[in-house]
Amino acid sequence: MALAPATMRRLMREITQLKSSPPEGIRVQTSEDNMLDLTGIIEGPEGTPYAGGYFKVKFNITEEFPTAPPKCRFITKIFHPNVSGAGEICVNTLKKDWKPTYGIEHILVTVKCLLIYPNPESALDEEAGKLLLEDYNSYCSRAKLITSVHATPRTRPVEFDTPSAGTAESSPSTSSSSSTSPSPAKQPQQLSIPRSKPVSSAAPAVPTPLKSSENDGAVTVAAGKEKDGRHMSPAPAPLGTADSNVASLVVPPAAAPGDKNAMPKAVTGKRAATGAASSGAEKRKKALKRL
Amino acid sequence: MKKMAASNVLIVGMQGLGVEIAKNIVLAGVKSVTIFDTAPVTVQDLSSQFFLRKEDIGKTRAEATVGRLAELNAYVPVRNLGGSPGQEISVDLIKGFQAIVLCGVPWSKQVEINNWTHENGVFFIAAETRGLFGSVFTDFGPKFVCVDPTGEQPLSGMIVSVEQSSEGLVTCLDETRHGLEDGDYVTFNEVQGMEELNGCEPRKISVKGPYTFTIGDTTNFSSYKAGGNFTQVKMPKTIEFKSLQESLKSPEFFITDFAKFDRPAALHAGFPALSEFQAQNGRLPRPRNAEDAAKVVALAKKLDADADEKIVTELAYQATGDIAPMAAVLGGFVAQEALKACSSKFHPMVQHMYFDSLESLPTELPTEADCQPIGSRYDGQIAVFGKNFQEKIANHRQFLVGSGAIGCEMLKNWSMMGVASGPQGDIQVTDLDTIEKSNLNRQFLFRAKDLGKFKAEVAAAAVADMNPDLKGKIHSRQDAVGPDTEDVYSAEFFNNLDGVTNALDNVKARLYMDQRCVFYRKPLTDSGTLGTKGNVQVVIPHVTESYGASQDPPEKETPSCTVKNFPHAIQHTIEWSRENFNDLFVKPIQAVNAYLSEPNYLENTLQYSGQQLEQTEQILSFLVTNKPLTFEECIVWARLRFEEKYANEIKQLLFSLPKDAVTSSGQPFWSPPKRAPEPLVFNSSDPLHLGYIIAAANLHAFNYGLRGETDPAVFRKVADSVIVPEFTPKSGVKIQVNENEPVQNQAAAGGVDDLAELTAKLPSPASLAGYRLNPVEFEKDDDTNHHIDFITAASNLRATNYTIPVADRHTTKQIAGKIIPAIATTTSLVTGLSCLELYKIIDGKTKIEDYKNGFVNIALPFFGFSEPIAAAKHKYNDTEWTLWDRFEFENDPTLKDIIDWFKNTHKLEITMVSQGVSMLWSSFVPKKKSEERLPMKFSKLVETVSKKPIPPHMKHLITEVMVSDENDEDVEVPYIVVHI
Repeated sequence: MALAPATMRRLMREITQLKSSPPEGIRVQTSEDNMLDLTGIIEGPEGTPYAGGYFKVKFNITEEFPTAPPKCRFITKIFHPNVSGAGEICVNTLKKDWKPTYGIEHILVTVKCLLIYPNPESALDEEAGKLLLEDYNSYCSRAKLITSVHATPRTRPVEFDTPSAGTAESSPSTSSSSSTSPSPAKQPQQLSIPRSKPVSSAAPAVPTPLKSSENDGAVTVAAGKEKDGRHMSPAPAPLGTADSNVASLVVPPAAAPGDKNAMPKAVTGKRAATGAASSGAEKRKKALKRL
Repeated sequence: MKKMAASNVLIVGMQGLGVEIAKNIVLAGVKSVTIFDTAPVTVQDLSSQFFLRKEDIGKTRAEATVGRLAELNAYVPVRNLGGSPGQEISVDLIKGFQAIVLCGVPWSKQVEINNWTHENGVFFIAAETRGLFGSVFTDFGPKFVCVDPTGEQPLSGMIVSVEQSSEGLVTCLDETRHGLEDGDYVTFNEVQGMEELNGCEPRKISVKGPYTFTIGDTTNFSSYKAGGNFTQVKMPKTIEFKSLQESLKSPEFFITDFAKFDRPAALHAGFPALSEFQAQNGRLPRPRNAEDAAKVVALAKKLDADADEKIVTELAYQATGDIAPMAAVLGGFVAQEALKACSSKFHPMVQHMYFDSLESLPTELPTEADCQPIGSRYDGQIAVFGKNFQEKIANHRQFLVGSGAIGCEMLKNWSMMGVASGPQGDIQVTDLDTIEKSNLNRQFLFRAKDLGKFKAEVAAAAVADMNPDLKGKIHSRQDAVGPDTEDVYSAEFFNNLDGVTNALDNVKARLYMDQRCVFYRKPLTDSGTLGTKGNVQVVIPHVTESYGASQDPPEKETPSCTVKNFPHAIQHTIEWSRENFNDLFVKPIQAVNAYLSEPNYLENTLQYSGQQLEQTEQILSFLVTNKPLTFEECIVWARLRFEEKYANEIKQLLFSLPKDAVTSSGQPFWSPPKRAPEPLVFNSSDPLHLGYIIAAANLHAFNYGLRGETDPAVFRKVADSVIVPEFTPKSGVKIQVNENEPVQNQAAAGGVDDLAELTAKLPSPASLAGYRLNPVEFEKDDDTNHHIDFITAASNLRATNYTIPVADRHTTKQIAGKIIPAIATTTSLVTGLSCLELYKIIDGKTKIEDYKNGFVNIALPFFGFSEPIAAAKHKYNDTEWTLWDRFEFENDPTLKDIIDWFKNTHKLEITMVSQGVSMLWSSFVPKKKSEERLPMKFSKLVETVSKKPIPPHMKHLITEVMVSDENDEDVEVPYIVVHI
């Protein structure tokens, strides 16, 4: 059934946003004949065993959206403690912590964060959970293997030809592992239209240094705001994984001159795995530093 | 509930209110119901007494009613107390009853009866309605004990610490709110260390914060180690009721509407004054007669010098009024009060309730002449609203969506009101359901003989029988409302309506009807109930917001990993077993059938599922390798499923995450809320184990069209003979992998080859032409189909794995079916409120403050009313608009016409256009595509993008656009209707 007009309008706005200024490492595929048929593509974050992979997350938007969260699952095979064999994702954001102000972008950014910070305590794939707890190297190898077999396309998805919000051109740093060199993105027309509103409400989860460019209207605005030293909203709390008894994590604030109330509350917790951090956690930290 | 089954209830006065109360009590079930009313039936009684017919005129009311009441519930005997014509109720007649309900009895008589019941431990309720006013008084004795004041599930939660101190501070796990209040009582279980708390006598708590509370001195207890749950213990509450005589002097009011806080006092004088007037004059005040009203006011002033004259005057004006919606509101409420007295469940109303709906009066008040009785069945309503308004009601055209519990009550009220009884009047009612056994005890228009018939049809016939004026005026349908039936519920259909009433049980259909009503600009009344809670919302075109504008947050779902690996409550195992039911008996069967019936299913559909290998394996297993040929094989299959689900999978989980596993921070992995599971060992003499085998084998047999079996001996014998393969947990995850060069590995990477091999093993669909399996369709209400049996057994086995207390079949069914039983009392009350709003809609009121959204919880009890929320105002350029506004385009314009019109007329730039779920155009479509689409006629464009033809009945297309203004700011504009 058709959704309520207000919901449809909201979805149109979200899609436009995601298409014209997508967050770092995240793109969406839409189909014209059915806007509810929406697939997100998450680029495996550098420094994680998912690097080089492109993971598709399929959305099922119901008439209760946004009051109820959309259903979503991985349709690309992935070895991850919080993703089941059938692609179900165990994140609180999609269940009990859902807020109607969240949108598609928020979910994708959250899921991307989950790739960086898997949470073995709320394992859906207990094998992956066990490995992550006991033997980080094996977990990594296994995840890399699955990534290389199931998630690494010969060529980078064309959606990534559009630059991310806050990145001037498609930055080489985001695609170093990809076999193809980033195609020199044709600057899509609409991006060159100067906009008065900050376009970049996207919050890349990965703290990639922002490259501002003088010749891109959209980005200049974003970068300009940054220079003002305005307080920036942090990325979504990455690990609202269910049943988590680990304190929430700090995600380094990313470039997000926020005009968007869809951004979640600030994350203030400290990484729990401090004192008794296992070697696995150390590894992960190292991996994160490389980002 | 036991007490309820021992209670004999007497209801005195069988006019509209009395019969409504009696109906609801009979449906709820008590030991017996006796009615008393020796007055002869008059035509005026037909205004609200739905069990009386014209043919009954002359019989006593009780005599004419008793048979129809008795039909409602075979388990509740209904008797007529008899009495000679005109005989009044008296003390000697009421002995032997546990509860007495007096309806419309003079106040002096009420006091006389109450004096006796108050002394003799009999529960007493007096109620009456006068036009749009109602009064209820309760007296359950000087020491009434209420065992469960709220009816809510006792709260419980996991705890993480208990201080060993004089305060005994308890902290909840994971910052979960405990929800307790000061003075609540709790007990504990599964506490480690401070084991004295387990199963302790209820301890009174003080709330210290949302996550903490104190339970008093714990210094002498052992020290707390870990774990544990608190559970609220409901403590009985003693309530002291005053007698009516005492209460008349020092009343305690139950407020129903805080906007009318001064009315109870006025009516507390007004109602006895009315009774006094009747005693003095031998009749009630004449409708809207100033002289009679002045006398009533004078009598009221004697009781209370400050009584509000205007209110008492209006009460006197309407004294002969008798309207069905008021009977429904009070009848639902009073019946629940009587049930509270009989069961001690839920908090009774203390002690006087005065309710009115004066806002329902027409904006232009009727004259005295207009309100005179005309000897018709509507005289009770004419006395309040006048003949002119009665005609408006008669010619009203409503669409009732749903004919279940709410729908039945609604139709009953409408038929008493005479809605659609006039030449232009019309009622359309639709419900796709047929009548099932479980409907009979609350959908009161249905009888056992109607089982299997369409609800809408039976309900329409039943109420046309109640009021023959409606014969031929009610049109019933079986088409569900939705996008598929827009040819039935077309523009013409809606244009013929004056309004829509929802009587639905799901949000989806409500939202759909809301959209349609917004589009056609029709008033909508929505009502809903959830156990003892109910609500009514009105949506008025150009005035209020729409139903969909504010939605209740949906129920929070359980995280999937809790369900899959870490259940800690019976709800989780029930949810798991519900999924397991689908995974075993529904999904694979559907997949097999899809493979057999859809051309190139494997290639086309599965390819995009991301699950191709698994799905193909499953089809092969269900269609070939594990296909049973005999019922015995189904038993073997069930036995192996038992092993897989309750032994092997648990062993695998414990292998991956052993009981002594620790988290990265060194904490035990299996600490609360997680519960470490234990595998089960099959034992055919354990009824739970065998129950699972019986249900699973029968459902599997159903899938294959094999005959089932129920003799436990057969199952025991076969199940015990099954050779179960030894299980060794997989440890196939330690694969040596080169860092840089991915190695082809069978488990992870051999997918493509395996798939080809599997596919080759499948018989071609052509070779099995016509062969299909039978997927199971979940049906909770059939006790012989093994569905709930399976879900109960599967859930309880898993609960046993995790040492979660098991739940019986009934509880499992309620949770699995997400059933909160609808109760007749709430339904009756809510439909009454809905009809009180309908009077306003028929009157065409346009002031938002004239309407009321209502919320009730008759368990507490609680009434709340609020003015509807006004439609939100948006703005583009200098134009303000609401959801009721839109742009209209005629004659199937091109996309370019539309874009240009916005640019030229409003200086607005369109950036995206969508219709339905199709995205027709946006500023980021490639130039070529854009040039192709802009000159297209709109209908052609829609067909091109959606790849579907526009159905012939579609005369317009609803279109959404995103636009930006001259400053490039995103602005919201109304939607567009394109006529094609």
